[in-house]
Amino acid sequence: MCGITALQLRDPGLRPRLGALMAAMMAQVAERGPDSAGITIYPEIAVLKGVGHPAVLATEWRLHEISGTQAVAHTRMATESAITAAHCHPFVVGDGLSLVHNGSFANHATIRRELLARGVAFDSDNDSEVAARFLAYRLDSGDDLEKALRLLCERFDGFYTLAVQTPDAFAVVRDVIACKPAIIAETPGWVAMASEYRALAVLPGIEAARVYEPEPEEVYLWTST
Amino acid sequence: MSFDEIRERARLGRYPIRGGGARRAVPTFDDLTFLTASASRYPLEGYREHCATRTVLGAANARDPVVLEIPITIAGMSFGALSAPAKEALGRAASEVGTATTTGDGGMTPEERMSSKTLVYQCLPSRYGFNPDDLRAADAIEVVLGQGAKPGGGGMLMGQKLGPRVAAMRTLPEGIDQRSACRHPDWTGPDDLRIKIEELREATDWRVPVFVKIGATRVYHDVRLAATAGADVVVVDGMQGGTGATQDVFIEHTGIPTLAAVRLAADALADFPDVALIVSGGIRSGADVAKALALGADAVSIGMAALVALGCNDTVHDFGPASYADLGTTAGNCVACHTGGCPVGIATQSPGLQARLDPVRGAERVANYLRAITMETTMLARACGKADVHHLEPEDLVALTVEAAAMARVPLAGTEWIPGR
Ligand SMILES: Cc1cc2nc3c(=O)[nH]c(=O)nc-3n(C[C@H](O)[C@H](O)[C@H](O)COP(=O)(O)O)c2cc1C
Ligand code: SF4
Repeated sequence: MCGITALQLRDPGLRPRLGALMAAMMAQVAERGPDSAGITIYPEIAVLKGVGHPAVLATEWRLHEISGTQAVAHTRMATESAITAAHCHPFVVGDGLSLVHNGSFANHATIRRELLARGVAFDSDNDSEVAARFLAYRLDSGDDLEKALRLLCERFDGFYTLAVQTPDAFAVVRDVIACKPAIIAETPGWVAMASEYRALAVLPGIEAARVYEPEPEEVYLWTST
Repeated sequence: MSFDEIRERARLGRYPIRGGGARRAVPTFDDLTFLTASASRYPLEGYREHCATRTVLGAANARDPVVLEIPITIAGMSFGALSAPAKEALGRAASEVGTATTTGDGGMTPEERMSSKTLVYQCLPSRYGFNPDDLRAADAIEVVLGQGAKPGGGGMLMGQKLGPRVAAMRTLPEGIDQRSACRHPDWTGPDDLRIKIEELREATDWRVPVFVKIGATRVYHDVRLAATAGADVVVVDGMQGGTGATQDVFIEHTGIPTLAAVRLAADALADFPDVALIVSGGIRSGADVAKALALGADAVSIGMAALVALGCNDTVHDFGPASYADLGTTAGNCVACHTGGCPVGIATQSPGLQARLDPVRGAERVANYLRAITMETTMLARACGKADVHHLEPEDLVALTVEAAAMARVPLAGTEWIPGR
């Protein structure tokens, strides 16, 4: 159980409102992850993480005052690893790649060992960090984000809905069974993804948005404008 | 050693020989249990959600890698130790479920070649029956350095089983005990093995994978050397592994348990991502298969269990004269494969006894057995949330005994304690 929200702004006029929109979205998925929360805001790649209720954290961070081009956030209900800020998503690795994950991988211990053997270092024992490090490793090896996400689908077992942002892209992907919720909405002004529709309902112009559920193992990718 | 065993040696002035595997209690896969999914992990649905079992071996070097539909193969058991109908039945069963079977000491029979879709051809120290034509007819080659039942020892076939056909294939006199070499004649260390493997690849035009089979003793070093020498697949046979015949002292007092061997072998192959690991020795159930895969095997191999599925130790036959009693044993306790008097027609060369084994019906039983344990394997994998049996990992297991925890290097159940860590 975790909540994901992500937003990429296409309309430069909305940029001053990025933090406020994200705070409103996160509040809608707070029940899915009341333990702790985190957010990455682009283009500065400002990473904010904390333990506590997402609404309280958003106020503490003065999120509504922050502007930007895109952001990805997570509200967490811990499964196997500890409730600390270090275990909070997004996992921000490599050249500003942020990953948030809802679900639970089933073979991450093996992939972690393989990456360790290739010299990749880890900050936490969190399964989601393995996915972030895997993507960064593939990007380092010359793959583009779409290819890296396809390889992730091949290699990772378990349940996952992932939202990933890099300085120039935003992507969403789900596992083959796709039972972790995800919904996408697009308008000329923005593209957003969240665990539940109610988080999208707070966005301006949602009435006219194209709203759809991402298909299993399909990579959805939008480049930043 | 029991008084009876002392008396046996006192009477005969020699050591006992038998078939089967170690009978003493050693830590086994039974001492491990799976941490299946509930809230922190999610299990997969048995009916709708696929769990892959396909296993590909040797793709890095061979033009035609071995493709197995299930991660369970039939181990090498010689024609000689086994009857021709038994070999044929194993081949039919393996083909039906999409897996491989293996020749053994003494060469390849046309029956087993015809009945086996994927046949692994063994190259043993004895080289009995080994020839370039059969080599090129094989789907993989297995260089045998040793077996779990007798690491450091050689093959053995008692005179009673050296009937005309077996003797001719091995160019040996009929009816005389055969003790095969324990070491290859043309190479000793890993440096020579590299050349041998290259020679086998050239002889088969780089078409088929090369396996190297070892008995589990100094597993880490032996497996590393086999991989360094160029093996595509390393087969590690633990101390419980069965045999057609060998000295009892070998069966019970050499090698390490399969449970301990898997982890060491997997460690040894950490730097060889293209080299696969097959583990054997005492594999009986789907739980054994799943645990071996979780600890690092890519596939397992079975010997005795396939023979039992075929009818070994069965009471269902109407035997007539020759029976377990003539071998001084009873159904359920027989390990008399070495005598050639197998009452169910499996481990014999006697035409009368062989006729008791119908290869088609025997194959059905073995195929059913393989299907059933494959289902058990995927059942456990799904319950651990895996869409592929190969995604099982050591972290899915805990141990029920301190010994098993130390050997398998998984925590003792209910703790985070791995002895020695
Ligand atoms: C009747 C019989 C004959 C065997 N013959 C050979 C052989 O010719 N070459 C070989 O490498 N292993 C031979 N083995 C050992 C098997 O290949 C395998 O390593 C062993 O049976 C695995 O253990 P398990 O019986 O507990 O499954 C034989 C085993 C049996 C039971
Ligand atoms: S029944 Fe036959 S195959 Fe089974 S142990 Fe006895 S002799 Fe060997």
